[in-house]
Amino acid sequence: MKEPSDMRVLPSTPVERFRLYGVFFFFLAGFLYVIGGLVYRQLIQSTDLKEQSDTQSRRVVLRPPARGRIYDRNGFPLVDNRARWSVKADLASLQKEFRSEYLRMLAAEKAREAVSIDREKLLEDARVRVLQGWLNKVWFVIDETNRNTKVRKPLTKLTPVTAPVERQINILELRKHLRERRALPFTLVNDLAFPGTGQALTADDGTKSVARFIEQFPVEGPIRLEQDIVRTYPYGAMAAHVLGYVKDTDTLPDNVDDISEVRVETMQKLRYTGKTGAAGVELSYNNVLSGRSGWELWSKTSSGYNQTRLKYSEPEQGGNVMLSLDYRIQQATESGLAKLKDLQGNLLPAAAVMIDVHTGEILALASQPSFDPNRLADRVSSKYYDLIEESGGWLNRATQGLYPPGSTFKVITATAGMRKKVVDWDDSLDCGAFFKVGNRDYPEHEPVGFGEVNLDKMLAVSCNVWNYQVGIRTGIEALAAEAKRFGLDTPLLQTVSDFETGGQPMTELPYAASRGLVVPDREYKLRIGAGAWNDGDTANLSIGQGYLLTTPLHMACVAASIARGETRTAPSIIHSLERNGRHPGALPIGLNPEQLASLRGGMLRCVEEGTARVARIPGLPYAGKTGTSEYFKNGEKAHLAWMIGYAPADYPVVAFAVLVEGQTDTNTWGGKTAGPVAKEMLETWWPIAVKANLDDKPKVPR
Amino acid sequence: MDQNRQGARASYVALSVFVALWILAPSAVRRFNREAFVEFQAPALNLLGKSRDMATFWEKKSRSVEEMAAAGRDLARINAALEIQINKFEDIRRENVRLREITRYNVPAEYMSVVARVATRDSSSWWQRIVIRKGRNDGIRPGAPVVFGNTVVGRVTAVHLTTSEVDLVTSPGFRCTAYLEGDDQNHIVLVNGVASNSLGTTKARVSVIPRDYSMPAGQPARVFTTGMGGVFPSRLMLGYLDGGTYATQVGNFKESLLVPSRDLYNLQEVSVLVPLHQNPGEALMQGDQFQ
Repeated sequence: MKEPSDMRVLPSTPVERFRLYGVFFFFLAGFLYVIGGLVYRQLIQSTDLKEQSDTQSRRVVLRPPARGRIYDRNGFPLVDNRARWSVKADLASLQKEFRSEYLRMLAAEKAREAVSIDREKLLEDARVRVLQGWLNKVWFVIDETNRNTKVRKPLTKLTPVTAPVERQINILELRKHLRERRALPFTLVNDLAFPGTGQALTADDGTKSVARFIEQFPVEGPIRLEQDIVRTYPYGAMAAHVLGYVKDTDTLPDNVDDISEVRVETMQKLRYTGKTGAAGVELSYNNVLSGRSGWELWSKTSSGYNQTRLKYSEPEQGGNVMLSLDYRIQQATESGLAKLKDLQGNLLPAAAVMIDVHTGEILALASQPSFDPNRLADRVSSKYYDLIEESGGWLNRATQGLYPPGSTFKVITATAGMRKKVVDWDDSLDCGAFFKVGNRDYPEHEPVGFGEVNLDKMLAVSCNVWNYQVGIRTGIEALAAEAKRFGLDTPLLQTVSDFETGGQPMTELPYAASRGLVVPDREYKLRIGAGAWNDGDTANLSIGQGYLLTTPLHMACVAASIARGETRTAPSIIHSLERNGRHPGALPIGLNPEQLASLRGGMLRCVEEGTARVARIPGLPYAGKTGTSEYFKNGEKAHLAWMIGYAPADYPVVAFAVLVEGQTDTNTWGGKTAGPVAKEMLETWWPIAVKANLDDKPKVPR
Repeated sequence: MDQNRQGARASYVALSVFVALWILAPSAVRRFNREAFVEFQAPALNLLGKSRDMATFWEKKSRSVEEMAAAGRDLARINAALEIQINKFEDIRRENVRLREITRYNVPAEYMSVVARVATRDSSSWWQRIVIRKGRNDGIRPGAPVVFGNTVVGRVTAVHLTTSEVDLVTSPGFRCTAYLEGDDQNHIVLVNGVASNSLGTTKARVSVIPRDYSMPAGQPARVFTTGMGGVFPSRLMLGYLDGGTYATQVGNFKESLLVPSRDLYNLQEVSVLVPLHQNPGEALMQGDQFQ
């Protein structure tokens, strides 16, 4: 029998006690560590951990807003949004089908004793087969509605390889979708109702396709119809250079930070594909048009699919913009330009502008060749892009094209000469077949010359020799100064708008010519390293040739300024009822009444019996000035045809400019080529103006 | 006690076995079971409908002679008015025939009309489904539109031997395209039933309404079928736009609610417009074959 002391459980020796306490403290420390860790995690780190958890299990989906509309001055929509109906597959709901198909295919592979099985590839094929099966059903409903259905073949039959592209699942797109946008439904048919594609030949076909899908395709199930909006340009290519087009953007909108309910900095954001302006007013007024994005906060499954929408905010449509264009005049202008073709039947590059003399508002602004923004609004095909590139269709010739103005500049030469008092309105100059400057003969365009020529006759027949003489007498300094006084070196369409730019200057139409504008003088010629200025240069400048470069819009403004008896016109593409007819920098033209009357009379005579007589309009007397300048096209000499003017002659309301780029093999002359375009513009404008009660228009002081 | 416990255990086991069998059973077996249950239920539904008819009959028969005389007078007046209408329609019909003869225009009938009594409302789908006393034996097929007069009631979703189930316009399973009264450009809009609780007023949602659409002044806008989807004939009445909650702006479109033009739950009789030719949607609903 043992003693009770042998049965003690507590250690008696110091070593044993040390061991026991050691173990005790070890466990105590461990326990405290765990407790401490829990306290630290639960109390101190709780906010951060919750946020981290939210970040991992939630996702923000951004919803792009509808862009605002663009109207013409009468309220006709030039740019709108249309409903786009897309057929989409909810991949999360299809998981079971993907799995079944995968297992079936795997069994088939095993049955044929394949050496190696690529399971990833097999899974991808299974997805494609399932989605293709659903896509076939979609087309079946749309195609077969009006036929008697024969019920024979299996529903999941794959479409033959020869089927159009839009009827096949694009494996590359599917891969990209699974990689980048797995949470969103996969698009089976992008635009069910878009006319002109395989989906629908006409708008009516497209609507029918949508209606068939809505009424016949099962409501329940993984396939759904979603509608969003896509930019549409109802008049196609009309005014494309003014309106511009939109392109995709992945840039997050500014107002994403407004999602105050959640911290989005670290949260997964679904790649945002909105639209942004890429050219024209769509670009310059993008801030107005683009609206405010909406967002959705989703919880997601462990596979990455969206599960439940927790919160959301609806997108807000962008603001509208009202342009100064009148779509009827715009259509007529483009119709006139479209008749200009070279010997091969190709459209001649050209531009035309019509502006309101009083306000400077642009009623029509066309550039040819052009493009159809509808074809750039969604997916841009590289083929179409290249086509525009090759034809030079991106360039807005009316505001960006830089050309020597030719004889249309003679109105400025005449004004400069009279202001410098080197010639007066009733002075007659002897104008032969040429004028000698230095050792060189500067020719008249009429081989026998015009004899005695005064201002009035000069403008009617566009006499060169009169201008050589007056230009050289006036001198380059005064001539260049006069051109600058009319604003030929000043960029146009500049404005300051608080809303669009926060008070910063902006250009109403992007990339309007600014630095390329040239009003040459002695300094300019030295600067470009072309040597010292000489009288020959002055003679060239006096007829609008040489180094002088300007745009059709500038020349339309010159015509408007002369019509008002001023030096500057500030054009604008935006319609505003608040315009007061004041133009920044405008001064009185500086001619006495007789001189001004003679200048205007000469322009009237130009149309009535002179170089622009082909563009005469019975019942509408108007003033004009033609020009034919030379330029080099692919190293060969070609002609530019110009015509500027204003109408009616007695109480000007509109001013215009037309420019046509002749080709090396075309017979291009100011009156003959550009005149008919001006005529068509004015013939369209005149009845509109009469109907709008022309008498109510503010009269231009004469 | 032990016996009770054993009995309870046996019940649980039996239930578990039954559930397991149901889950593991092939889908064909489960479908067959469901169908069998519906067919088993059908005579009861028929009896219920007929009993209701009988009750209505006796309720009317018990009325006094004065009441019947007054009702008779009212009916005589209505008859007189209807006769005038009939004559008017006859004139229109003749004019229509004459014009068709002139233009040699021959439109084949696209639908066969089957009149059916309503047996009951199906309580399993939030009161938005009715069961009618006609089925496969009467030529009814799934997907067929169901109307009352010129008004859309819903659409056949399931067909059994002697009964059929109809999703009402307000059912979440109902979807069709429509035109709005006052929209001169005839944009198509989408009408979709909305899930609601059993106590609330059932309505459908009208979406994709053009932003510049404005309702005709002084009256609720009527909503009509387009006839473009291949299921519903055109110009059938779906209901009215609910002016009270009109114009919820979503992006570039507006939304509204649709109030059915008739009390869909008190209908006694409906017509099923069975298409003469099977349409693709029908093939998909049957879920079997297509070409």
